Amino acid sequence: MQRKLISGIIGIFIALLIGAIIMLLQGYNPLQTYGALFNFSLFGLFPLATTLRNSVPLILTGLSASVAFASGPINLGQPGQLLMGALFATVGGLYLDLPSWLLIPVLLFLSMLGGALWSGVAAMLRKWFNMDEFITTLMLNMIADFFTFWAISYPFFDRSAYSPMTPQINTNGWLPIWGEFNSNVIVMILAFIVIYFVFNRLTAGYEWRITGQNSLFARLGGIKIDKNYVTVMLVTGALAGLAGGLVVMAGPHRFLKGLGANYAWDGVMIAVVANNGLIGTLLYGLFFSAMQTGSLGMELITAVPREFIQVLQAVTVLVIVAGRGYLDIVIDKTIARRKARERTV
Amino acid sequence: MQVLIEMKDIIKVFPPNVVAVDNVTTDFRIGEIHAIVGENGAGKSTLMKVLYGLEQHDQGEILLQGRSVHFQDPGEAIARGIGMVHQEILLIPQYTVWENIVLGAEPVNFIGMIDRDRARQLVQKKVDEFQFNLNIDAKIDDISVAAAQKVEILKLLYRNVSVLILDEPTAVLTPQEIPQLFNELRRLRDHGHTILFISHHLEEVLDLSDRITVMRKGEKIATVQANETSKTELAQMMVGRTVLFTSHREKSTPGKLIFSLENLTVIDAAHHKRLENVNINVHEGEIVGIAGVEGNGQFELVNSIMGLIPTKQGNLKVNDVNLTKADILERRRYISFVSQNRGKMGAAVKASILENVMMTHHRLNPHFTIWKGLMLNDQYARKFTGQIEQQFSVIMDRMDNPFRSLSGGNQQKVILGRELLLDAPFVLLDQPTRGLDVGSIEYVHELILKMREQKRAIFLISADLEELFRIADRILVLHRGKIVADLPTDQTDIEEVGYLMLEGKEQ
Repeated sequence: MQRKLISGIIGIFIALLIGAIIMLLQGYNPLQTYGALFNFSLFGLFPLATTLRNSVPLILTGLSASVAFASGPINLGQPGQLLMGALFATVGGLYLDLPSWLLIPVLLFLSMLGGALWSGVAAMLRKWFNMDEFITTLMLNMIADFFTFWAISYPFFDRSAYSPMTPQINTNGWLPIWGEFNSNVIVMILAFIVIYFVFNRLTAGYEWRITGQNSLFARLGGIKIDKNYVTVMLVTGALAGLAGGLVVMAGPHRFLKGLGANYAWDGVMIAVVANNGLIGTLLYGLFFSAMQTGSLGMELITAVPREFIQVLQAVTVLVIVAGRGYLDIVIDKTIARRKARERTV
Repeated sequence: MQVLIEMKDIIKVFPPNVVAVDNVTTDFRIGEIHAIVGENGAGKSTLMKVLYGLEQHDQGEILLQGRSVHFQDPGEAIARGIGMVHQEILLIPQYTVWENIVLGAEPVNFIGMIDRDRARQLVQKKVDEFQFNLNIDAKIDDISVAAAQKVEILKLLYRNVSVLILDEPTAVLTPQEIPQLFNELRRLRDHGHTILFISHHLEEVLDLSDRITVMRKGEKIATVQANETSKTELAQMMVGRTVLFTSHREKSTPGKLIFSLENLTVIDAAHHKRLENVNINVHEGEIVGIAGVEGNGQFELVNSIMGLIPTKQGNLKVNDVNLTKADILERRRYISFVSQNRGKMGAAVKASILENVMMTHHRLNPHFTIWKGLMLNDQYARKFTGQIEQQFSVIMDRMDNPFRSLSGGNQQKVILGRELLLDAPFVLLDQPTRGLDVGSIEYVHELILKMREQKRAIFLISADLEELFRIADRILVLHRGKIVADLPTDQTDIEEVGYLMLEGKEQ
């Protein structure tokens, strides 16, 4: 745990250093740029609140990917599951008229249902036709993309709008905002606690983890791996769907074109950087959100374009993933060399 | 005899802190067969890999004919006349014998094409020179494992290697094939080659070698003349204490029938019969062994019993419960299972020791969970793991450490502990001592005999005939998917069973 934290911090530091060199080569001032980047993402109540709010879809889709990868299924359908979750929550918000304390949980549930249904399609395709979820989830992303686009262009189209979008949902379904802070963070933290508990303390989570590490051993031990496969697909689909629901309920309060942005792929990337660890996903999710949030301010007061953050993200991923193994090797080799020298007669 | 290679104060530490070879000094002479013996993990393979350039030593010096050398890779070692044959056969099955031998060092004609005629001639010359009985035009696919091993040796001789390192060459051979290999090795020695021979079969070592170096826990214990030592002395040096080679077991008194397999036939996807009308009965307090060359149906037998492949024809009963169509969890109520491959089937090596111990118990034993099986009872699992640690004398640091941090012997003890404490009436052991050192093997055998006293029905699949003769009460011989013999251990001998394994019928 400690080694992971240290290697993560060193990795981020090296990535920022490489980013600084790239900026220097292009004639920008890295100190000023990083100053602006973190000023607009971490220092101050409003920047911090924005970073937290923006981290929610990244972390939830990241958790979805982490739990799936660590349990075996290669669920890469978070983008589609997010969109379906968002659509389900939107439609619920358009047609249900309930008091706030009831409507919010109902919409959250609907968004999870939408995501789970979509990942469930992939699970059934595997169960019935032995199709690899690696392929089917990717293909279902495209179907979800076009299906939701159709849905907001025709049946749920807001006739007063000039581009594809739905009307706003019932205001009772809007997530409360306290000062600068949006309560979508509370929902995310609750979801994190639940999934952490399930994954690490419950019998089911134990079986998922062992199956992810060695499915033949799990099967011989009496674990019903096919049943667990379906459960994991549904749970991770629900997590991605929840991310979509929260995007609608916290932000524009409607489903508009391009709603999914790049959240889910960033989430998958965060899971990879965190090596499928749940706490790692949470921390890296916050860091990536800080970079993305600060990029707007950075563009405002420096000449560095916002796209630079994508470069920085890519460098961070590469440095951390490559450095993870390398740091261990370096430390181990140093210990070995010292030990050999001690033993020389 | 003239000294060819000297290894001085060699230290090899595997990162971070496993001292594999600890200040070893030894020498190898021209024209000798020199055995390196030791338990698993004693460092014998590592020492040879250092010499061959596969591993780099951290401290020390290697002298070849008095000159210091340090090989960065095996290619450099081969260029200086040192070659190694690994335990696994590494040949291209679709190529012929001579093609495999010349691969990577092909003779070419003036426009750079492979000169096939000359290549064949060169290979044939080597075969004749050392009197290897080998058809150089046969495909590797069609020849036996013993012949493939000869090809590996010829591959090195073709490259004019004068020092041959063999890593447990007899492990893949049947008892009948071993003397032939030994004769060929002796012939090579008489031609002036130096043979370095890694093994832990002491009888073989005494039979074949001129000198023997004994290693234990990375250190060299001694180098002795083979004709001045004995099996007992070698074993004592290897293990560090006296080892009993005969188990003092009483004759078994089998009770009621526990395990019965009737008319099992398994046909694979390619419509080959892998098992044909196999009938096996095991009674309580009885150890029944299966002998057979690997690949004669053992794999399918184990998978059928465990429910990994569906049974289409046949009947499986344990304790009068019909398990033919039962799912794996249901079977596990009645069957304890130790697989032959710890990393693939017996454990999740990156998961903690604790998590590996809980497997199956977490479903069958209600103490392992609370809230009606929903949540794990961490406290109970820890107590249980501590019990296994004590009862099976496992050496472990912390039970939260990954399973792979344990040594091979300790891994097997944990697996045995987990499986035997399931308290199932039937115990299926698939090569339970594979890859273990002498001390651990002795422990496992004692444990199996203790299980027999506790009236369990034990079914043992083993490729090691000595093991079967040491502990089994009855030996069944499996040949091409059929049980060809059912012999009480005290009414047969290794030669008879060995012949049945190869030929499938009485001599």
